[in-house]
Amino acid sequence: MPANRLRTLAAAALAPLLAVAAGCANAAGPAGEAAGQPRSGGSLTWAVETEPITLNPHQYAQAKARLLVWNTFESLLTYDKQGKLVPWLATGWQTAPDGLSYTLTLRDGVTFSDGTPLDAAAVRANIDKLREPGYAPAVAAVQLRNLKAVEVVDPRTVRLTLTTPDVLILDFLASPQGAQVSPKSLRAAKNLKAGGVDVAGTGPFVLDRYVPGQELHYRRNPGYDWAPPTATHTGPAYLDEITYRFLKESAVRVGALTSSQVQLVEGVPATDQPLVTGNASLRLSRELNSGSAYSYYFNSSHAPFDDLRVRQAFREAVDVDTVLRSVYRDTATRAWSVISPSSPLYDKSLEGGYGGDAGEANTLLDQAGWTARDADGFRVKDGRRLTVRLVQSAPFVRDRRDVLAQAVQAAVKQSAGIDLKVSLVDQGTANEAFARNEYEVFDNSRADTDAGAALNLLLHSKGGINRARVNDPRIDQLLQTGQATGDPAKRAGIYAELQQRVVAEQALVLPLYAPADQIAASTSVGGVRFEPTAGVPASAYDLWIGK
Amino acid sequence: MRALRAVARRIGAGLLVLWVAATAAYLALLAAPGDTVDNIIGDGADTPDIRAEIIAQWGLDRPAVVQYVDYLVRLVNGDLGRSYLLQRPVSDVIGEQLLPTLALAVAAAGLGVLLALVIAVATAGNRRPWLRRLSSGTELLLVSTPSFLIGLLLLSVLSFRFRFFPVSGDQGAGALVLPAVTLALPIAGLLAQVLRDGLDRAIDQPFVLTARSRGVRERGVLLRHALRHALLPAVSLAGWVFGIVIGGTVIVEQVFGRPGLGQVILSAVANQDMPVVLAVVTLSAAGYVVVNTAADLAYLLVDPRLRRS
Repeated sequence: MPANRLRTLAAAALAPLLAVAAGCANAAGPAGEAAGQPRSGGSLTWAVETEPITLNPHQYAQAKARLLVWNTFESLLTYDKQGKLVPWLATGWQTAPDGLSYTLTLRDGVTFSDGTPLDAAAVRANIDKLREPGYAPAVAAVQLRNLKAVEVVDPRTVRLTLTTPDVLILDFLASPQGAQVSPKSLRAAKNLKAGGVDVAGTGPFVLDRYVPGQELHYRRNPGYDWAPPTATHTGPAYLDEITYRFLKESAVRVGALTSSQVQLVEGVPATDQPLVTGNASLRLSRELNSGSAYSYYFNSSHAPFDDLRVRQAFREAVDVDTVLRSVYRDTATRAWSVISPSSPLYDKSLEGGYGGDAGEANTLLDQAGWTARDADGFRVKDGRRLTVRLVQSAPFVRDRRDVLAQAVQAAVKQSAGIDLKVSLVDQGTANEAFARNEYEVFDNSRADTDAGAALNLLLHSKGGINRARVNDPRIDQLLQTGQATGDPAKRAGIYAELQQRVVAEQALVLPLYAPADQIAASTSVGGVRFEPTAGVPASAYDLWIGK
Repeated sequence: MRALRAVARRIGAGLLVLWVAATAAYLALLAAPGDTVDNIIGDGADTPDIRAEIIAQWGLDRPAVVQYVDYLVRLVNGDLGRSYLLQRPVSDVIGEQLLPTLALAVAAAGLGVLLALVIAVATAGNRRPWLRRLSSGTELLLVSTPSFLIGLLLLSVLSFRFRFFPVSGDQGAGALVLPAVTLALPIAGLLAQVLRDGLDRAIDQPFVLTARSRGVRERGVLLRHALRHALLPAVSLAGWVFGIVIGGTVIVEQVFGRPGLGQVILSAVANQDMPVVLAVVTLSAAGYVVVNTAADLAYLLVDPRLRRS
């Protein structure tokens, strides 16, 4: 897309200018918590990259919108730093020995911002709504696939029964889609699926103004007193108000921050990070996201990637560290597995096990019969060039993944004579290529809190995003056992075996980097943190303004 | 009676343009790769159950012709449908974004025309060759610079460095200045060239000599006599200005974080959100019709010769 290239050029041309505009750079010392002791009051403006498509948590589909969801809505459970589930609006849960039912007890005294109390009937109303035809088809078909019934045991107790053991139901209860919306809003909101000021939740803030294309404005919920154990304080939020302004251009976001027009920004690409780190009154923090790593999935359903040796060769042909450094300088974290290194299911033993050996790549391709070379230096077999196609859908390209693809393209050409054809297209064209099986490489990362949920979609033979066209009974079986196993240690063992199978033995993926989020903030802002496990910016609940 | 018939013909032609535009957009989206269900699913999970629900919800199993006729019937009744992506009525989506874009467009077009007039009048003829060279060089630069770059430059100097203007949003007149200037500069650049060219040619005409010989001063000659002639080709560029402004808002609103139709267009086209795209196309076509009609009326105003015929 020319607009993209244009933007890159413009950004490159402007970097020095912006550096001057940002004012004199100071040698930054360790900032610490410069904002001092937490205190109540004040308002902040936060520039965010993405305007959410919907404000209804049940319809949530953008990881970039997660920090907004938790201002107004809350779930029954949440994750702590270690990736363990902890209670939130629920006080606890019990798993039946057969794994076929979960009984949750609810916290007392929780009310939605419209005055409706949160009770078992409200929880049931939410799940009933999610299963209503046409309301949230993706949630009903994936997350609630194994849910049989929801039963109100008493006003404070609710029981979910399943058709088959499924530990991911707990992940659903901790997800934005499982957040509790006031039953009154579910019945009466004008545009329920779009969300908005008339959809009430239990969160520490209340959305009171939405100007599409410009900003969201929240005010404190004064009666709030049910913070999750992962928060750093209890009671109402510190801030009186917070405004999230949509600034899609990273250069503009950072400029607004350096000129103190906003106090926080998220999404700071590598090229803009020196402007923040070089400024003593600003602080940059970053955290790895949960879920699946950003990887290239090899379409194993047809040539040339139906041959294990070619898949291995492609992986050996890329020196991932060098490629990442050339595109992201030193800001990217290399991924070694299909699962993000921040996940408790991550198998560390894969690290260093493969990749970057051009000699090996060439040997493998020779063995696979791709021995001849054409005039352009690409390998050829039976008169056909070793061409593989990567189709990227422009609306979903982020983190300069189009530029990264060009770097990989150059690497595989140079070291092994593989012709990686990259096309950046509109969503319709991409979908058509996927439907017609006219692609060999598929790129994806998912920010699910439980990596198992992501892998179900990506690697199961019947998975919703199985674009690698994996059809391996062993992998299916491991995924199903993993989903049915509650014991964390056993579960980690199953997923370790799965990762060995997918990454080491079958070479179905080339993991590239672990997606991360960045927050740049004025040092006068305290309590800047990321949501535990998810690794995305947290809600505004713990933020305060120092003196 | 004749005037009435002319007006009726004008309105009829306008409606025809709207219908053709809506139909062309509909066909283009139909011919575009990928189907609607895929586009609604986006990069999320895609299973037969999910597809079936989406198809049922939006009535996508009906033949394309039926969907098209249904769309036209609803359009005539003023119902623009619901956005696939945003799950809200299209009239809401567009309605709330129309005013900020209109404000930006009017300010940018007005400023652009004003700048062009001042520049052209100041540099026409051979009075100040150095100024003329400087200005036509600058105009060329402005016309060829992407507004994305102009916007970022203005922002980094006037907002980030000197903090004269807020960076973003629709926060009163102050926030309108930079976006309007960004959009106005390329318009001013091209219009100034056209106007100056017109002025130059008018100055060579015998009537200018006559006016001068009557003792009319140079400024009077330019403003009262030559400018009218120079305006005609400029007025015919009104449609072009409208196009530049609407296209420019897409980028300018993105850079400045302003609400407006530009952002709606961008996400709707990227996601093939058919109902919104169709509404925006129809609305833009209506805008063109209005602007071109106004331009035709302006000819009559500028040139008395046309009024007689």
